Amino acid sequence: MSWLSSATRHIISDEPYSASRNFILSAVLWLVVGVTLGTLAGALMTWPDLITGVAQLSFGRLRPAHVNMVAIGWLSMGYVGCYFYILPVLARRKGIWNEKLGNITMVAWNLVLLSGVIAIMNGYTEAREYAELNGIFDWLVLAALISTGINGYMTVLTGEEKKWYVSIWYMLGSLFWFPLVYIIGNRAFVAFDGLNDAVAAWFYGHNILGMWFTVGGVGILYYLLPRFTSAPLYSHTLSMIGFWTIGMFYAPTGTHHILQSPVPEWLKAIAVISSVFLLVPVLTVLTNFFMTMRRKWYLAADHIPLRFVIAAGIAYLLTCIQGPFQATRAINWYLHFSNWVVGHAHLALLATFSFIVFAAVYYIIPKVTGRKIYSKQLAVYHFWFTLIGWIVMVVVLTIAGLIQAAGWHFSIAMDQWAFEMEPYMFVRFLSGILITVGQIFFMYNIYKTVFGAEKDVEALPHSPTGIAYV
Amino acid sequence: MRPNINYLIAGVFVALIFITIITVTAILPAMTFTPVPSEAAYKYEPGSPEAIGRMIYRREGCFYCHSQFSRYQDREMGEVVNAGDYVYETPHVLGSERTGPDLSNIGGKYPDAWHWTHHVNPRVVKPGSIMPSFSYLSDEEMTYLVAYLQTVGAKRKQPNWVTAPQEYRDRWDKVKEAVDINSSAAANAGRGIYMQNCAQCHGVEGRGNGPTSVSMQKKPANFTRPFYKSYDDATWFWRVAEGVPGTRMPRWYKSLSDESMAYVAAFVKTLPQDNEEAVTSYDDVDIPGALDENFWEIEAAKAHGHNNPLKDYAPSTFKAAGADDTATHGGAH
Repeated sequence: MSWLSSATRHIISDEPYSASRNFILSAVLWLVVGVTLGTLAGALMTWPDLITGVAQLSFGRLRPAHVNMVAIGWLSMGYVGCYFYILPVLARRKGIWNEKLGNITMVAWNLVLLSGVIAIMNGYTEAREYAELNGIFDWLVLAALISTGINGYMTVLTGEEKKWYVSIWYMLGSLFWFPLVYIIGNRAFVAFDGLNDAVAAWFYGHNILGMWFTVGGVGILYYLLPRFTSAPLYSHTLSMIGFWTIGMFYAPTGTHHILQSPVPEWLKAIAVISSVFLLVPVLTVLTNFFMTMRRKWYLAADHIPLRFVIAAGIAYLLTCIQGPFQATRAINWYLHFSNWVVGHAHLALLATFSFIVFAAVYYIIPKVTGRKIYSKQLAVYHFWFTLIGWIVMVVVLTIAGLIQAAGWHFSIAMDQWAFEMEPYMFVRFLSGILITVGQIFFMYNIYKTVFGAEKDVEALPHSPTGIAYV
Repeated sequence: MRPNINYLIAGVFVALIFITIITVTAILPAMTFTPVPSEAAYKYEPGSPEAIGRMIYRREGCFYCHSQFSRYQDREMGEVVNAGDYVYETPHVLGSERTGPDLSNIGGKYPDAWHWTHHVNPRVVKPGSIMPSFSYLSDEEMTYLVAYLQTVGAKRKQPNWVTAPQEYRDRWDKVKEAVDINSSAAANAGRGIYMQNCAQCHGVEGRGNGPTSVSMQKKPANFTRPFYKSYDDATWFWRVAEGVPGTRMPRWYKSLSDESMAYVAAFVKTLPQDNEEAVTSYDDVDIPGALDENFWEIEAAKAHGHNNPLKDYAPSTFKAAGADDTATHGGAH
């Protein structure tokens, strides 16, 4: 059993930055499995009889499996992987506070998610959107979040740097908010009755996006932009205004998901008003992004991670203009329940925040392993497959959503317009194939880098330049 | 280890803001928003087939594609829901996306056998549906699921005819303050608007034989048919305002004022009724010999010989009409 103990030693090591590397490696695996299941679910919307008689692979179970794998598996683990590299660098510390704890969290997170997804596919589910992990899994995920939080906070507090760069604010903020949001949103901790359950569920359903994915993603973006462009961030003040306004306006917006349901009107009013106020933090991020990129756009010609960041910035512009727009009562009246919103969700999580993490992974993996990225060409393929994939997906889902909304608005029987959805659902499946192929390139590239490429000492952390590792 | 004191204060503020928001938007509603159970609220007794069916509904992820709240702006999806309807709906299954139709009023809409067929192979009863086949559910689970579906909205009072949606019933309550739809003044006011806007399709006498009707695939309505005499005022107002989906009937609210549409409705209501026979209840169904309580057996015997199994499938309504109420309904025949 010596291989077992040596494997354990490698996985649960206290080598600096090993937790970051391991988190990223598991995130990439979850990404590929998650998008594959998503594509399979997309195929079922074109060929509903593709798989019959297998409970585990019916649409109603594939969808939550896909969402949990990409949200809790890929994006969240990817974020933690990035935090565990960026936080110690910004706090001037060699590695995080406790690498061993970080690695144990990584192993536990993987096990919990694996068993949780298997449980969901076998029908053990909480059956509330984004909160499908049930019972014991809720407690385990919370434990993982708290141990991650402790590690993050202790890393910053024990670092030599006493002045916090803005990314630290965003990252520590998300590590504080997310566990609280998770507690409110899961019935293992807080269980309301009737419509109040829906209110709590959407408090969680929106704030996992707002207080975790947005805050964390923007934090990573603020770290990567100056590194990639070798220029200081345009305005530190703006970024701090963004942080505080996110803290004030993002959290109360959840009820805009059930705007026409019979929940209290004052709650809906708060949700709509704060949704529109979200334009403030969004515009601070966008101003900072576009002003920092000023006169640096040419770098994207051969800096692949920067390309991902630019694509993410533009997708953030689209998704965050869409968000407040469709949260207003008049627009929501028309668009709610339609595939438009599904497109919006992919625009936020795939086109924006996943792209930020892609860029971060291409940047961080060489730093934490000391190896050059295996293939620049594969990274280019990854970029174009994923970019074209999401553009096609969002466009067809938006069109399909407008058809659905028109069907309801002009009271045309669903039996008539349901046929109109077929071509769009088919193209959506094709876009899923594109995205899946892109992610397979990505996984191959990253694994080949970590386990195959030659060591390049220049790439190690704290080396002066951030450019040209891909 | 000691952070800047300013950072500490800022951290406390972040925590305070967030705890305030949690309190206001998650805890406070739970404390103050306690609607009284409405008549439509269905109480799911733990362990009952309906409660188990609801669990299966959640387990199979039905709510990812089916919402369970009919909204004010929805048309022909049944009655709009109220807060009191959801008192016993824990955990919620409101849904966020409608790949399939809204289910808040599905209970009682179809027979059990339809639901069984639909869940085993949806394409059989709904061509073009992309619902997954739930053939993997056991017979027992399917029974529970169907039992649950039949309770959803079943206690909500459903309109039994073409009825205006809630939005137009509310609007009509305001408009009728201004326009007395049964007055001849309103009908005369409507006559002019009708002749200008409606007569080219519906005809001067409202028989659906205006000159434009010649070229139409879907012929305009003939208002003298008894069917249209069952419309209530709000329904007329709604039909004039929103038109008829699937036909060339326009949405007049885009060009006419509320009062004008009410005048048109007032005029159309004065059109005479044709002598066409109409059946509005089973009691009026005219079947020769139906008064004989052995009618179905006699008919079945004529067709298939004695002792055939079909006689058990005679509609009970017909039996009852023949057997019990001969005296009251005799006149109708």
